[in-house]
Amino acid sequence: MSSPSTPMQYEQRTPVWRVVLNWSIVAGVLIALFFLWRDLSSRVKGKSFAILYPENAALNTLFGLVAIVGLVCLTSYIGKMIGQAARKHGKVSYLSVLNDQLTHVFFWFVILFSLYPIFYVVSASFDPLNRLTQATLGTSEEPLLIRSRVLPSLEGLSFANYAKLFDGVIIYQWQWLLLVISAIGVLGIGVVWAIVQQNGGGRADPNINRARVISTWVAILGVFAFFGTLTIDQFTGFSNSSKFLLWIRNTFLVSGATGVLTVLLCTTTGYGLARLRFPGRFEFLMFLIFIQMFPALLGLVAMYELVYRLGLTESLPGLVIAYTGGAVSFGTWIYKGYVESLPASLEEAALVDGCTRWTAFTKIVLPLSGPMMVFIFLMQFVGTYTEFLTANVLVTGAQNWNVGVGLRSFATGQFSVEYGTFAAAAVLGAIPIVLLYYSFQQVFISGNTAGGEKG
Amino acid sequence: MAMMTAKPDYFGIGSNKPPEGGAGVAFAIGLVLGICALGLLIGTILTSAVIAAFPSVKAWILLIFVVVALIPLLLIAIRIFPWLISWYYMLPAIICLLAFTVYPIIMTFGYAFTNFNAQNNDRPDSTTEVSIKVTGANTLELTGDSKLETLACRQPGCVNEPIELRSDAELGRPGKTYYALKAEGNIITLAPNQGVLPTDYTRVRRINPVANIGFGNFTEIFSKSSKQLYPVLIWTVVFALSTTLINVIVGLLLGILLNNKRLKFRNFYRSILILPWAVPGVISIQLWVALLNQNFGGLNRLLGLFGGLPIPWLTDPLWAKIAILLVNLWLGFPYMMTATLGALSAISDELYEAAEMDGATKLEQVQFITLPMLQAAFTPIVLATFAYNFNNFGIIYLLTRGGPAEEGRESTAQATDILLSWGFNTAFTGAGAQAYGLAGAVSVIVGILTVIISIFNFRAAGVFKEARK
Repeated sequence: MSSPSTPMQYEQRTPVWRVVLNWSIVAGVLIALFFLWRDLSSRVKGKSFAILYPENAALNTLFGLVAIVGLVCLTSYIGKMIGQAARKHGKVSYLSVLNDQLTHVFFWFVILFSLYPIFYVVSASFDPLNRLTQATLGTSEEPLLIRSRVLPSLEGLSFANYAKLFDGVIIYQWQWLLLVISAIGVLGIGVVWAIVQQNGGGRADPNINRARVISTWVAILGVFAFFGTLTIDQFTGFSNSSKFLLWIRNTFLVSGATGVLTVLLCTTTGYGLARLRFPGRFEFLMFLIFIQMFPALLGLVAMYELVYRLGLTESLPGLVIAYTGGAVSFGTWIYKGYVESLPASLEEAALVDGCTRWTAFTKIVLPLSGPMMVFIFLMQFVGTYTEFLTANVLVTGAQNWNVGVGLRSFATGQFSVEYGTFAAAAVLGAIPIVLLYYSFQQVFISGNTAGGEKG
Repeated sequence: MAMMTAKPDYFGIGSNKPPEGGAGVAFAIGLVLGICALGLLIGTILTSAVIAAFPSVKAWILLIFVVVALIPLLLIAIRIFPWLISWYYMLPAIICLLAFTVYPIIMTFGYAFTNFNAQNNDRPDSTTEVSIKVTGANTLELTGDSKLETLACRQPGCVNEPIELRSDAELGRPGKTYYALKAEGNIITLAPNQGVLPTDYTRVRRINPVANIGFGNFTEIFSKSSKQLYPVLIWTVVFALSTTLINVIVGLLLGILLNNKRLKFRNFYRSILILPWAVPGVISIQLWVALLNQNFGGLNRLLGLFGGLPIPWLTDPLWAKIAILLVNLWLGFPYMMTATLGALSAISDELYEAAEMDGATKLEQVQFITLPMLQAAFTPIVLATFAYNFNNFGIIYLLTRGGPAEEGRESTAQATDILLSWGFNTAFTGAGAQAYGLAGAVSVIVGILTVIISIFNFRAAGVFKEARK
């Protein structure tokens, strides 16, 4: 470190064989990709009657690409000029502006790739004619993108698909009241958020925090009270799709119960493993790790047998049982890591003052671990919400389906005909989870990365 | 006081100090398992008593009884062994895991050695129902025009055949199992010593027993391995490897580009690109099915505008594989991008400033600072992604159902089936004829492979080291 630094020292000397090896790997991959490409393109045959092929499409595409590149080069030049004019002295490199603009172009392509499926399903959900998924193309008066059925036509859009999902559903007035209470809670969260933003993101005020907590609980409890009081008698429609709200209810109840159970099991277990030292602790940890390795899906036959023998196949508790068993290991491991990161001195002081271990846990550690409990609950809630396979096998009868199984029932039927209903159900079914993701983004991101590290 | 506790107790009776060493561990585990078993036993006895008294009660009452029985047991145990309190923190989880994770795993391994399937399931076969009346202490007589052929005994003369007897009052509920000694003409004789035969039995059904067939399922799998095990295993590994690689590369690229603090709209890009991750997979994979339709899917229509021919995304074995990789990229890149951003935020800006001072270009900075620094944070993420995709059943089942069909393959192991979906198909689809025993054998194989991969994975991620702390 102390030697005088000359430029020579930074030079990387790669041995010749490494260079040869690297390049031959690259060459090998390229050759493999070439043969893959040849094989793939030999499997593409003939045009389809349901697809629009404009004249000179390939040529136009090429021109379009050239035009985009030219445009970016031009705008970069303009950008460089503007930048230079604003800066007065010092040069703005053309290449770095070009680089920036190319990055933006690239990101817009990625956004197109990411959002097209979502846009597609949202627009299909408003189209009772299912024009996007039918074989017929548009008339020649329509613009190219709409005529080719790549983008939806704006004519004839309606809520008919959504109406199908609520066909014959009776909701009592007091249940509407619960929804209104929940909405007020959501509004409260929004107001608190706005106030915090106004004050520059400060969170010090305890009243603000209390308001946030209260409105969150009002919103959550309102929703759960609404779904908890929905009964099968309120669904008088005959079609499967009219049971959609019931599926959402089932999913909410199962996910919520699983989440709460998982948090209860994981917190005590995780605390015990983090803070107590006793013979058998290491063995138990190993047991947890190995249990987690075995894919739960493989035990499904036995799980069905168990649920069948307990007489729970036509009810939701059977599902809660199946999901909770699979979640304990991961949550325990995460919670254990979290408790270990807390200073032990707090509890030790309490123990010296005559607290028992249990009160030290409930009075000191539990209140501190709110975010972790939220994370474990959310992971479990979202995981259960999107699960469909176990539900598909364990539970019978359309009134007991969850969202995933219900959606699957559209997809296995006449998909192109039912796509509108599927799309409407998909949009409504995805909204709760998307909202959860965006409101608890930090929790999901940090927890998921931690989860990845912990396995 | 010191005098009283000075004498060490081998079992730690009345002491706060648990017995040490390997024997101590074994004793503690044995004690916990013993308490659970005792609770289960009491719960089972209570349940059968209650069901005998009130036949309409469902069997899940067992769960409540076990918990009720465990409470006094645990209170007694803590009096005798105060050190057991450490285990009580974990007991709810232990009971839950034993009942709903360990038990199914053990049962699955057990099925692997049986011919358990939709037919041989230890349940009465409703097509074999025959009406009878009880004529003696051990004899039944067929009534009406029912024939012994309907019962369709597997053994000649129904020797040792398990049969189920029910009364008219018990319709819709399982009856009681008896073993036949022999059957001749209209008379079925039951084996002796099976208790007093109630006289109100009116119906008999044959039970299809589950038989132990040793390694038969495994020989069947390995004898057809070129049609199912090997191609499925190869595709599973190729899929898990390539999808991880593709997702990591795209995620790294986007993450590194977004990490540029001078880039405008970077927060906007980031929050938009998280959307595919936020949409539940069970929904988004199914909407891709419509998008990938060969004749009127949105993707082929879009390609058509650019002069591309319709691609058989889900109907050609090779293209279906590409489609799975593509959809999995769509599902997975936001996570990788976010992970990259998280790892990058841990790298100090000073390193880049120093590199810039030394005249390193942007590319060199990525090569010599970013990538090496990312390696440590990324190794566990990459391994976890690989392990996840190795058993990523959801995308296969929802997108292609394992298909399309490929020539020369078993119907349960098609072009895009991975190990897990192969096991699932064997157990639950029409193609597999619900061969639960065979599926159990597949599960054993998949389970062993998964555990091997996971051990490597966890070792690299340092999980074992953390457990030893």
